Amino acid sequence: MISSIVLITGLLLILIGLWGALTHRNILRIIISFSLMGTGTHIVIVAIGYVKNGTAPIIDSALGLAEAPQRAVDPIPSALVVTAIVIGLAVTAIMLAYAIRLYDTKKTLSIEALMESRW
Amino acid sequence: MRRASIVFAITFFGLLFASVAINHTQSVSLWPLARSYVELVPRELGAPNVITGILLNYRAFDTLGEVAVLFMVAAGVGLVLGRQPNPTVADPPETARPSSEIVQIATRILAPLISVFAAYIIMNGHISAGGGFQGGAVLASCLILWLLADAQFQVDVKLLGLLESVAGVLFVLVGIAGLIFAGGFLDTRVLPLGQLGAFFSAGAIPILSLLLGIKVGCELSVILARFRA
Amino acid sequence: MVGSLLHPLNIFIVGLGGAFLIPLLNRLGSRWVASAFIFALAAMTLMSGISLLEVLNGSPPIDILTGGSKPPYSINLRAGLDEAVFAFGVNLVGLIGAYYFLREKYGTILIYLLLIMGIQGMVMTRDLFNLFVFLEIVSIATYGLLSLRDTPEALSATFKYLMATVLASNFFLIGTILLYATTGLLNIDDLIANQQAIAGPIGFAALIFLLASLLVELKPFPANGWGLDVYETARGDVAALISGGVSTGVFFALLKLLPLFEGQLEIIAAAGVITFVVSNLIGLQQTTAQRLLGYSSIGQIGLLTIAACLLRLANVDSATFLLIAGGLFINHLFAKVGLFWLADYVGKARLQDWSVLKSRPAAFLAFAVLLAAISGFPPFPGFWAKWQLVMVLAQDERYVWIVLILVGSLLEAAYLFRWFGQTLHGPVESQTARAGSGALVPIFALGLLLIISGLITSNLAGLNSFWPLIPLAAGALTLLIAPCPAWVQCLTVLGMALLGGGWLISDVTGLNGLFAVLLLAGGVTIAIASLYRNDTRPGFYPLLAVLLLSLPALPRASTTLEFFFIWELITLSSYFLVVRSRDAQRQALPFLLFSLVAAFFLLAGFAILHADSASYSLSALRTAGPNSAVVFVLLCVGLLIKAGAVGVHVWLPGAYAASDDDVSALLSAVISKVAIFGLLVGTYVAIRSEVSLQLAHVLGWIGMLTTLAAAMMAVCQDDMKRMLAYSSMSQLGYIVAAIALMSHLGWVTALYLVANHLMVKGILFLVAAALIARTGKRLLSDYGGLAGQMPLTFAAASIAILAMSGLPPFVGFGGKWLLLSAMMEKGWYGPALMTLLATFVGFLYMARFIQAIFLGPRRPDYADLEEAPAALLTAQALLIVGILVMSFFPKVLIEPVSRAIDPQFASTLVWQGMSLEMIYGTWNPIPIMLLAVAVSALLFGLFWYLQHAGLFKDMARRLARNLSPLQRFYAFCRTAFGVLTPPWASMFWSRVAVTADDLALCARSIYTGNGQIYSLFILYYVMALYIAAGGLRYLWP
Repeated sequence: MISSIVLITGLLLILIGLWGALTHRNILRIIISFSLMGTGTHIVIVAIGYVKNGTAPIIDSALGLAEAPQRAVDPIPSALVVTAIVIGLAVTAIMLAYAIRLYDTKKTLSIEALMESRW
Repeated sequence: MRRASIVFAITFFGLLFASVAINHTQSVSLWPLARSYVELVPRELGAPNVITGILLNYRAFDTLGEVAVLFMVAAGVGLVLGRQPNPTVADPPETARPSSEIVQIATRILAPLISVFAAYIIMNGHISAGGGFQGGAVLASCLILWLLADAQFQVDVKLLGLLESVAGVLFVLVGIAGLIFAGGFLDTRVLPLGQLGAFFSAGAIPILSLLLGIKVGCELSVILARFRA
Repeated sequence: MVGSLLHPLNIFIVGLGGAFLIPLLNRLGSRWVASAFIFALAAMTLMSGISLLEVLNGSPPIDILTGGSKPPYSINLRAGLDEAVFAFGVNLVGLIGAYYFLREKYGTILIYLLLIMGIQGMVMTRDLFNLFVFLEIVSIATYGLLSLRDTPEALSATFKYLMATVLASNFFLIGTILLYATTGLLNIDDLIANQQAIAGPIGFAALIFLLASLLVELKPFPANGWGLDVYETARGDVAALISGGVSTGVFFALLKLLPLFEGQLEIIAAAGVITFVVSNLIGLQQTTAQRLLGYSSIGQIGLLTIAACLLRLANVDSATFLLIAGGLFINHLFAKVGLFWLADYVGKARLQDWSVLKSRPAAFLAFAVLLAAISGFPPFPGFWAKWQLVMVLAQDERYVWIVLILVGSLLEAAYLFRWFGQTLHGPVESQTARAGSGALVPIFALGLLLIISGLITSNLAGLNSFWPLIPLAAGALTLLIAPCPAWVQCLTVLGMALLGGGWLISDVTGLNGLFAVLLLAGGVTIAIASLYRNDTRPGFYPLLAVLLLSLPALPRASTTLEFFFIWELITLSSYFLVVRSRDAQRQALPFLLFSLVAAFFLLAGFAILHADSASYSLSALRTAGPNSAVVFVLLCVGLLIKAGAVGVHVWLPGAYAASDDDVSALLSAVISKVAIFGLLVGTYVAIRSEVSLQLAHVLGWIGMLTTLAAAMMAVCQDDMKRMLAYSSMSQLGYIVAAIALMSHLGWVTALYLVANHLMVKGILFLVAAALIARTGKRLLSDYGGLAGQMPLTFAAASIAILAMSGLPPFVGFGGKWLLLSAMMEKGWYGPALMTLLATFVGFLYMARFIQAIFLGPRRPDYADLEEAPAALLTAQALLIVGILVMSFFPKVLIEPVSRAIDPQFASTLVWQGMSLEMIYGTWNPIPIMLLAVAVSALLFGLFWYLQHAGLFKDMARRLARNLSPLQRFYAFCRTAFGVLTPPWASMFWSRVAVTADDLALCARSIYTGNGQIYSLFILYYVMALYIAAGGLRYLWP
């Protein structure tokens, strides 16, 4: 149940991101949309890793070594999502850098100003 | 026309996602692979935090790649923004109004605290929730605070770049050490595993964690600093 | 220890460690950075090279483990044979291309290093998520490098590229995690082993997301506008990295995941073929170099995709797979990267400005080599790969795919070689190319690599002997003496042709031996005439060497592969010889394209033959298989195109007329015989089956129709070279008809006519060369009364015309008599009648040739004309000797011919076992020839009457003012025959060309330049894939 709610949230975020990336004209908004989509994907990853009644896969006083396999959530998606988040950040940074350069050269942030090459 | 085709596409993806969500069932037990990680990491790596164990040993190759990504972004953002033709026109730091005294003082108080917190997260990554990435990010947030609070604040990008390079090289060297002294490249069992849960334990994981923290912190800071320039 | 230092794992250690070190080294100085950069790349290249050698020597794939554990717990990578080839190729290009980055900032250098490393990560990794990480490394490195060009267009294009690739990598991530959700696995090998677990809506969606992401990264049509924009606007060396490097990584990722997409292979191949054909179609409409290269690039990757999927479906062994996929990949990598680098070197965006290359012969040579490689000509790897691919597809009975692949290849050759022609003939600018000549070194290195890899692939493809390479070696040698005077080069070429050619034909026997002698002797004799020009003619002599040695090599071929290889060498070298001429810019392209179509028909024919008989031997043509009629038709169509049969002849007159004069002589006299030789070889199969014999009848009609139509068109010409060209076409028609008789007598006739035509047309074109050399005029109406000034030329022309017209006592008489006899023998009365008609029309234009040039009133401006140059006269004299020998000692030719042909027909007994002597004895030539002369006279009279009776009068009058009666008569004939031969063929083919252009215009209109539309296309692409793979059933449960 919990994982479904999280999963649907993530998928919805992806949809919202897609919608925004396709409809907004402003480059910054488009970047935000892509970022949103990335975040949605990360949430999906986390949702996939959830195990019913699971807890963080960290062995301590709350989670003994022996019971860990039964009670821990899946550690793999959590590990993946860390990497994915960092990569998402990297991509956003690059996009923003290009947005700045584009504004410098064209003095506009409209995606419609980027149509020099075609056909 | 265009709007309609967008609506159609999004609707289709909505349906597709719906089919995924409807058919998803919450898992009740771990996949065999995940289960063996939960068992293996504490036993073989001596790290209570399974995720850190995966990130810094079994999937350390990913982590290394990810560090490379950040490293490239730091260089890449520099390349993209380094070509601005006329940085002299309207130099915001000169003209911007200095921030209020409250903000400045609060920054001075908070920054050390944040740094300490970052150090804690980095160094406890193998024991409890935390790790190099998370700590590095917190470290960089400290820089954001400075950048926001003090318009005149100058970041020594060169020094940060040097630090991240050294950390990166050391990371690779630790990996090579694994190749020579343990089971393979990036094997963290080059140092004694120690006692599960102790600060000095889990082989080279805390070292990697530290290097990662420094590297990520520096890289994020460099990226942020480049954006302001 | 050394072994472990060279382990492929170290590629990544060196790459990452080197990149991390570079900022530190930068503190020491930029020299350090550059050295470390080169050292790291060289080390990576060495390591991948060593691993390649190891796996080539049969050691199992090299496993690369990390994290001190076995997979699936930790990430592992693998360097098997395919991986090693791809990684080594990319490394090599990365190392060579580093030249262009040496002076960049250290940030650029470290990104470059990581990019090269990342591509190899994508190639080698066996972990799905690790693949994603490497994909991101590669993408982000590309984003960084794209900033090296800072124009507004480049920035816009990069942003669109970012949008699309971010979308694609997000899909990859979604796919990966959904796959994990259904299987709990990330290791690719485990996923493949457990793929039955990938089921249900989630598993299906996961697969489609993964597949769509990789396909989109490969820039499929129509979701590829963003990729094209980047190819167009990026710096050439960066575009080269995207085209050669990034695409390679993604393609290999797709390749290694293909086992997961077992059910979607045909869909993926379809996506590839759409991309291949449409990209190359739109390429026709491009005007800027880099965008054109972009289309070509995308097309080539499409071709690779098709090959990967269809080969998997065909279950080929790994050696064949490597030959095809590796060959196509290496070819694309080296050639496309080289061209992108060349684009930087030239520094001109528009295609028409590339003519600056003309002032740099070395760069121009590289340009030609790279274009030939991309178009799949030998000896480059693409040629062998395409050959093998078609063979496999034919075996798998995937004929539609073969057609589509060949159509795409043809379109690609069309725009690439149009570009070549434009470059060669564009206006000369004084401004020279921008970059220093150092920038050429890497491009040359790639050219060299292409040749080396081509030779290696040739071996893998089954070309085990070295002799087919002799022509190329001779060409290369001649290239080395390019600084010498023209006559030295020409004599060297002749010497090499005699020596090498002599050796090549030394142990060829039978029909092939005869042809070998004819082609070699004819080629060398006519090439002697080239001595009459003493200008430098850059590139001419090496090409001549290739051509002269390929001609005698063709009959030596014993396998279809050898045959096709040499066939393509002849095509390519003759195209380059034709296109060299200033007038030939428009004509050379149709020549090449029709030659290519012809070659493709041969290829298809050979492929089906191979599928039928499981043999590459040409002798398989003599044993009929189930599809021998199909083979026969395919071969015949290809060879008829090459022979210029009516309807597909439109390339012929222009090419013959526009070439250099000595090249025209070669084309008409010698090169055209190659098609005839092919027909003789290719039609063995027809004798074996009833169906094919009927088809041979059709062939006979086509031959005679060609003869008649071409003769009539020849009458209509005023340009003497065009007239000779049509005459040549007409004579070939006779030969085709003679072959189609499929009888002993027919084939003897064919060979007899071949020899006759070779000598006659050689002389006549050389006469034309002499006339043009002395007067500079080409129109018959500009001449008159030259017999006195050029008596020797006049004599040569007269003998040739007499020999051609079929009047006794010269050789043509025997030929025509034999032909008529053979037709009567078979009961082909219709074609026989057409022979008579054509003979009459032939008289008209031949008489006109002599009359208009040498007889009649002399023009005052030709008063002090000299006799033809000695070289031309020498060649003509040699050919006349040949004519005389054959005329007066026909047995010299006929006996060996008869002996050579006998065995082919001995068993079928179309020929009734009589010796030729008996035929001569039983058949009385006099009545037939009398009949022929009578019919001709009758027709002549009829036309004379018709003209006087006023038919066509209006038309004739307009042309015929102030002309002598004889000229008026010719004007009338021209009008009459003009009406009888409407230009349907040229109208049809130009319609085809216009339609292709229109389609291209239409197809490219989807590239609006709007990044959001491009992203939308990507979404629709995913949708289309989802639906095509049958996903709709999951949406309505």
